Amino acid sequence: MSGNHPTLADANRDLTRPISRPGKRFFIVLGVTGLGILLGGGAWAYQIAAGIGVAGISHPVFWGVYITTFVFWVGIAHSGTLISAILYLFRSGWRTTINRSAEAMTIFAVMTAGLFPLIHLGRVWYFYYLMPYPSDRQIWPDFRSPLVMDVFAVGTYLTISALFWFTGLIPDFAVLRDRAKGLAYKAYGALSLGWQGSVREWRHYRRVYLYMAGIATPLVLSVHSVVSWDFALSIVPGWHSTIFAPYFVAGAIFSGVAMVVTIMIPMRWAFGLESYITERHFENMAKLILLTSMIVGYSYATELFVAYYSADPIEIESFRWRANGAYALPFWVMVFCNVVVPQALWFKKIRTTLPALFALTIFVNIGMWYERFVIIVTSLAHEYDPASWGLYTPSWVELAILVGSFCWFFFWFLLFSRSLPVISIAEVKEHLAHDLEHAADTGAASANGSQENG
Amino acid sequence: MAEAMAAARQRAMARPSKPMGSGVLGHFDTLGSTLRTIGALREAGHKKLEVYSPIPSPEIEEALDIRSSPVRIWALVGGITGCLTGFLLTAGTSLAYPLVTQGKPLVSIPPYVVFMFELTVLLTGLFGFVALMVHSGRPVIKLDSTYRPEFSDDRWGIFVSTADADAMTRAESVLADSGAVETERCV
Repeated sequence: MSGNHPTLADANRDLTRPISRPGKRFFIVLGVTGLGILLGGGAWAYQIAAGIGVAGISHPVFWGVYITTFVFWVGIAHSGTLISAILYLFRSGWRTTINRSAEAMTIFAVMTAGLFPLIHLGRVWYFYYLMPYPSDRQIWPDFRSPLVMDVFAVGTYLTISALFWFTGLIPDFAVLRDRAKGLAYKAYGALSLGWQGSVREWRHYRRVYLYMAGIATPLVLSVHSVVSWDFALSIVPGWHSTIFAPYFVAGAIFSGVAMVVTIMIPMRWAFGLESYITERHFENMAKLILLTSMIVGYSYATELFVAYYSADPIEIESFRWRANGAYALPFWVMVFCNVVVPQALWFKKIRTTLPALFALTIFVNIGMWYERFVIIVTSLAHEYDPASWGLYTPSWVELAILVGSFCWFFFWFLLFSRSLPVISIAEVKEHLAHDLEHAADTGAASANGSQENG
Repeated sequence: MAEAMAAARQRAMARPSKPMGSGVLGHFDTLGSTLRTIGALREAGHKKLEVYSPIPSPEIEEALDIRSSPVRIWALVGGITGCLTGFLLTAGTSLAYPLVTQGKPLVSIPPYVVFMFELTVLLTGLFGFVALMVHSGRPVIKLDSTYRPEFSDDRWGIFVSTADADAMTRAESVLADSGAVETERCV
């Protein structure tokens, strides 16, 4: 340590420390997530063997827990690229210690989300129908369909997020390589691609990283817009709305940042990263949660108001039923978790008390899953013709797959946390180097001043 | 900590490396002293410098008078290629497999913009990454003979490439005067 600042060597030591031989606790938690994956995988295998009929989806609600969970995980994936790309372009220094984990979360969340359209297909072996290639069936995907847009949007998002993440990791792989021996040296050496930190490398690296941030910024805004069009381009009351794109994007950022906080608070404690991930980081994320909560709340109110103002009886009935019908409980859980609970973040005490913030983000995670459930299920259950109204209840297969998806996500995140630096070492060192230079300059100036005075 | 890095250097020296020719290598522990040394070396007529840094530093690029990176051209070409691919894929296949849906024209530009946008972003990113590899000369298996593990830790390195014994001596004295914490002769 140099004064209050960790040195560059301290940063290397502290930030590579979590990558060590994991203890028993780690394997217990990993084992629990593994069991959850087996549960979800087993339920999916059963569904494949028995047919999609074992899921609760049926006329008129053909989109249920699977599509709800798909949209939920795509939303979770938004915070990573938001924090990495948008805050990078705005030169928000506080992103530095959280961007790596948020990006990892993005990738694992997209990996999880990507499973759900396949699970929802039922006959999963027909997924290649979505791919554009000259098949002998003479059928191409309909490029006017938002579902095909979704394949391209989510695929591009996964690829660019992974590339952005990997590019950021290259200098850190070199740090790990230089400290490693044997097999670890070879593995980190291969992943570092022979990085040596020469000015020639940094020069191109900085430029490419900036471009990736530049292109990822509109991408992050576009992905959930495209997902929202899966709904908005239909004529289902409750879905056919022009506010869906910004409404979904705000909701995605809201849920994504909440999940970052949910994960980072225990991770900071477990790995002793208090010097790097400070209360200021959490306070800033809490402010972002509060802002997006207000946008989400405003969107809920706008939907209700527009339904009333349209004087369209079907639209009015759709929203009246959403708040008062068979799914009133999920609706009010959604409002309570996403609009009422986050208001506590107006108080600095809550924003900076980590157990309270952790509990609050759990509410947001639950509320945002319910938001997607409410939008999808209540709209389909109560369309135009009363003769075709009907209710939907998820089956145990769907719920097991839902639980499995959380375990799948956390399983990958746990593996990441013990094998790669959870904080970007190069970026932290960049800030530290400038702080240290500044401290040295200030020290030299005050020493000169004292000499002159003396 | 220092012992760990010394052991890392010993291991690194024992591994095969890419020869970088002869010269003098200086180690520095601050960015400021590295920048001052680059200026002093260039003033003394040493132009062939390789600088290693543990952090990205535009100041070093400026001190070395390095122009902006050509990867921007790659990114532009990637973006244009992606946009055209998106248009050709959607419009071309709609014409090749004509099937009117929703009463829309076969080539419906508004929905196709989404694909053009996605592929623009995708290929800009991929081309940019390839450009990074090409222009940085990566990936490589053997590291430079002048690279030290400390350069990814907390030290900056300046390698003055020269075969002339007098020039080496002059470079060594510039490095030492500018605050090098260590100098090595590489042959």
